[in-house]
Amino acid sequence: MKSAQTSAASLTPSQPKRGSGLPRKIAKRYDLYLMLLLPIAWYLIFHYGPLYGLQIAFKNFNPAKGIFGSPWEGFGHFERFFDSYYFWRLLWNTISINLFSLLIAFPIPILLALLVNEIRSKHFSKWLQNITYIPHFISVVVIVGILNAMLSPTGPINMLIEALGGTPTRFLEEAGWFKTIFIGSNIWQNMGWQSIIYIAALSGVNPQLYEAAKMDGASRLRRIWHVSLPGIAPVIVILLILDIGHFMNVGFEKILLMQNNLNLESSDVISTFVYTTGVLKGEYSYTAAIGLFNSVINLILLLMVNRFARKTSETSLW
Amino acid sequence: MRKHWGKKAMTMMIVSGLILGGCSGNGNGNGNSNSGSEKENTPSAAAGESAVKTDGFPIVDEPLKLKMFTRIAPANGPFKEMPVFQDYEKMSNIQVEFIESPTDGFPEKKNLLFASNELPDALYRSALSPLETVRYGSAGQLIPLEDLIDQYAPNLKALMEEYPEIRAGITSPEGHIYSIPGIVTLGSARTDKRWINKSWLEKLNLEVPETTDELYDVLLAFRDGDPNGNGQPDELPMTARKGLQIVNFMAGSFGLDLQLGYNININDGKVEIWSGSERHKELLMYLNKLYSEKLLDQELFSHTEAQYLAKQGTGNTGLFYDQTNNNFLPIMDQYVGIAPQAGPHDDRLQSNVAPVPRDFGAFAITSVNEHPEATMRWIDYFYGDEGSTLLRFGREGEHYEMKDGIPYYTEEFLAIEGAQGKMTPYAGGGAPHIINDKVASFINPPQVQEAYEQLEPYMPEIRYAAPMFDEATAQQVNVLRNDIDKYFEEQSTKFIVGALSFDKWDEFQATLKKMNLEELQKIYQEAYDKMAK
Repeated sequence: MKSAQTSAASLTPSQPKRGSGLPRKIAKRYDLYLMLLLPIAWYLIFHYGPLYGLQIAFKNFNPAKGIFGSPWEGFGHFERFFDSYYFWRLLWNTISINLFSLLIAFPIPILLALLVNEIRSKHFSKWLQNITYIPHFISVVVIVGILNAMLSPTGPINMLIEALGGTPTRFLEEAGWFKTIFIGSNIWQNMGWQSIIYIAALSGVNPQLYEAAKMDGASRLRRIWHVSLPGIAPVIVILLILDIGHFMNVGFEKILLMQNNLNLESSDVISTFVYTTGVLKGEYSYTAAIGLFNSVINLILLLMVNRFARKTSETSLW
Repeated sequence: MRKHWGKKAMTMMIVSGLILGGCSGNGNGNGNSNSGSEKENTPSAAAGESAVKTDGFPIVDEPLKLKMFTRIAPANGPFKEMPVFQDYEKMSNIQVEFIESPTDGFPEKKNLLFASNELPDALYRSALSPLETVRYGSAGQLIPLEDLIDQYAPNLKALMEEYPEIRAGITSPEGHIYSIPGIVTLGSARTDKRWINKSWLEKLNLEVPETTDELYDVLLAFRDGDPNGNGQPDELPMTARKGLQIVNFMAGSFGLDLQLGYNININDGKVEIWSGSERHKELLMYLNKLYSEKLLDQELFSHTEAQYLAKQGTGNTGLFYDQTNNNFLPIMDQYVGIAPQAGPHDDRLQSNVAPVPRDFGAFAITSVNEHPEATMRWIDYFYGDEGSTLLRFGREGEHYEMKDGIPYYTEEFLAIEGAQGKMTPYAGGGAPHIINDKVASFINPPQVQEAYEQLEPYMPEIRYAAPMFDEATAQQVNVLRNDIDKYFEEQSTKFIVGALSFDKWDEFQATLKKMNLEELQKIYQEAYDKMAK
């Protein structure tokens, strides 16, 4: 779908300027535009159409009356959420989990890619890549099952701690451990997969630059610092912005599966709250309001980071 | 990549949209057809009366088909293979097609059914909450049943006359009944027994504990005395169902009752929500003591229902709670039912007792149902002895035999593992029918009866069911309780396992107050005043 878009875009400017105007261009390249119809329809039906339902955030949704027919409530649901005892906890957990993920989990695939790039032995580098990719294909449920088995009071990790003379810890039932386990297992699962793009970008760096640096006597670390990193900087910035794009809603299923009353203090996030209150208790309007609030914060963050990136590195999404 | 970004960024924004927007079209479409059929219902009721007989079988001469949404428990097999529905279909001329949803994820499916307005003809074993009942009832998705009960449900009507608390417990303030409960007149089926390991007591020369302090000593002896004689400290002194059920079981020893379906004591007509009270603190401190000394199951907050039931069957457990002895039949002689313990202030109460309309919201008829009269007659059968026997025991000869006018499962049938749960929809709980002493040979054998007799002197005099609020009040209660209950559960759990020290009790109290516990208490007081009148 993306190739259709780009090829359509790149081809149109090269047209001779015989009577400009979009209709003419479209008529000329109708086959490419036809291909574009599909993604446009996808967005309209699945991404813009449902926006209609957002109005229930300002209404008291009553299924029998339908979305349009339900009575207006105004900002009542938002006020209820802001006044709720859980507001600050939900907000802090949502932001902190993602912030820590970004700070810790974001750089690791880059390091891995640089590492893989420096490995001389093709065989070993392929082997390393495969090993790190594999966890990506395990489903979330299985991952949480593995965590439960490994970290339970009678699991291997606690047995090891006991053997070394420590006292066993209930890792999954302690609020203090939740974020560490969540982010740590995310890194383990995804670093290989996320490094693919960086590895691809690194292979696109002009080898002459490395040779020139070598001639000038640059050490390996210097070459990484002055050639490799600047070479993939635009990719890093774009991926960072993309990550910010889903800043507020990472890992809903995984968090829900790992949640229990004892770690709720640090595992209760907006998306799981929306699920437990909205879908399980049927408070659709209230949770639609919470979801909308969440998205607005996300949008603001995205715009801010994009703006910042454009100013500092001249790379940005738009 | 751009597509990927767009997808992710939008997901949250339209989290409601994806679910609800998709349903909106249907909602509108169905909404129209609904209001249409609703209007038609009234005139057709008159016409329908001639077709639906008020007594005798079949219910209708022309066969008809109904769609019902139901919950299917892990123990059950498909409903269409159950003898009760096969035989009753022939008898009544009404064919029921069940839309089955497993217990896991059932509340979600149920809510989405209403939110999308894609309704079945009726909900069977649906466990609707009072709030859901009022909400969907006043929205017109569930139809009022009081007139139908009057005309087409002789069994249910008779029960409601005999036990006035049923009507009080299911009628909304506007006077409508939107759902029918599962009714339990058998006292023993309304409370869990306290099963203690008799052979361990004998081995260690201990008496049955009469007070909470004695209970502590007994559990300590269970832990350290090696009563199972294998030389290893692997005994499990005490366990309970997952979560805070244990609080409800021990509450009575600390003078805490569970009236009106909530943490409520009623003294001289005054409603008191005891969450955060001194007695509540004592209770949690006691449980914390048991938990931290490993007298209480360390997996209390993580084990599954299946694991809990398995623990009953091992015989390696000192004390646990269950309504019947069905889960430990092979080793039943090891256990005996005991009375609740007296607490530090000499309180001795079995507070975890359900009201006669035990399973609220077990059956409801929706607005799309074109044959509400026939549906009401269909369900009413199960509120009589004959129907309940068919539902619970299946076919005479094949599954049960009569002894002294009471059905008992045959030995051969019970010998097949898992067959009983597959045969009847009552296994797994919540089925809309009557449970009385005539259909309880399996769940109320002599051992369970004895265990119940132990509890009987300590039962609360009156058990008030959860009150029905009008829609606005129900919504208010819901808003208050969403925060309060979540906080209560989370903090109670932490207090028990020791993740939160009791120094923080004042904070707990203050937060509950900030969450407007008093307002909630006032609402319950008003509801009680209306009920007591």
